[in-house]
Amino acid sequence: MEGKVIVVTSGKGGVGKTTATSSIGAALALEGKRVAIVDMDIGLRNLDVVMGLENRIVFNIVDVVLGKCKISQAAIRDRRIENLFLIPASQSDNKDVLSSAGVERVANELRKEFDYVIMDSPAGIERGFQNAVVGANEAIVICTPDVSSVRDADRVIGILYSRSLTPKLVVNRIEPARVERGEMLSYEDVLEVLSIELLGLVPMDEHVLISSNTGTPLVLQNDSKAGHAFKRIARRLNGEADLPIEVPTHKNSMWKKISKTLGFK
Amino acid sequence: MFNALFKRFTSHKPSRNTAKKRLQFSLIYDKLEVNDTTLTDLQNDIVAVISKYFEIDKDALELKVKRDDDVSALVFNTPILQVKRKRAS
Repeated sequence: MEGKVIVVTSGKGGVGKTTATSSIGAALALEGKRVAIVDMDIGLRNLDVVMGLENRIVFNIVDVVLGKCKISQAAIRDRRIENLFLIPASQSDNKDVLSSAGVERVANELRKEFDYVIMDSPAGIERGFQNAVVGANEAIVICTPDVSSVRDADRVIGILYSRSLTPKLVVNRIEPARVERGEMLSYEDVLEVLSIELLGLVPMDEHVLISSNTGTPLVLQNDSKAGHAFKRIARRLNGEADLPIEVPTHKNSMWKKISKTLGFK
Repeated sequence: MFNALFKRFTSHKPSRNTAKKRLQFSLIYDKLEVNDTTLTDLQNDIVAVISKYFEIDKDALELKVKRDDDVSALVFNTPILQVKRKRAS
């Protein structure tokens, strides 16, 4: 059976797309699936450092698309997580070296060899984004609870719809205490504005920066709340569609729980 | 609960609600934005249809999207030179 090609995108940069891509990919591999993560941000590669694989790059996705090497030569195997592979972006090329047809062909080849192919899209909606989307069967949109990110997400969702993809949403960097204080959009606010299916809610987590500092997968850190959320997202993608979505809460929310059970809002 | 009480006393409006309202408005406006190619294509199509029935001054016509606070309208203005006679077929 052929695998799925999932594009992870956001429109706005800096919302945690790369973290989400690597974490979801790693979590799917931990579920026993064969996973290839593809960095489609040509010229600005990042996934390799975040995943701690930067020293092992020989070939990249541009080499694969241009036929300079085989997929198996470009795919770097993660030594900590079985069945997890990274195909890095090229750092020296321009975004325009890739043709949509070429990327689509490679995406279809990858589907034959992997259960999940996860495309990390560059920020923006230009050529690089279009190339990341071209071979995808599914799409995940990442946003944070701030107005600029949500607005950009809306734009991207519209473009994905026009390409017959029905994206699912991950709200990243939720700070429950601030939501409660009325300083931050809640995930319900974001969903109401975007009217799209929710895939997961990820809390703000200090472990994210630490794990990218050291290049270790977030999902291997058992005390990481964000890692935990990404693992559940992966399970939901991987057949457990009914797995409940956990809403991030903060530690001192005892009063909230009590008032909720008493019927106050 | 205490938060809600606190807010009632300070009458401090949470920025979360402001953010949501501003977003909802801007998304609606974003969607009403029509790009030039779409407008030109639309104009050509409208001209083609109207030209079946009327002879119009193609240089004097104008097509624009008018936007007010609560309504948006597509305005198409054209001088009619002559009504075309339909031949009985």
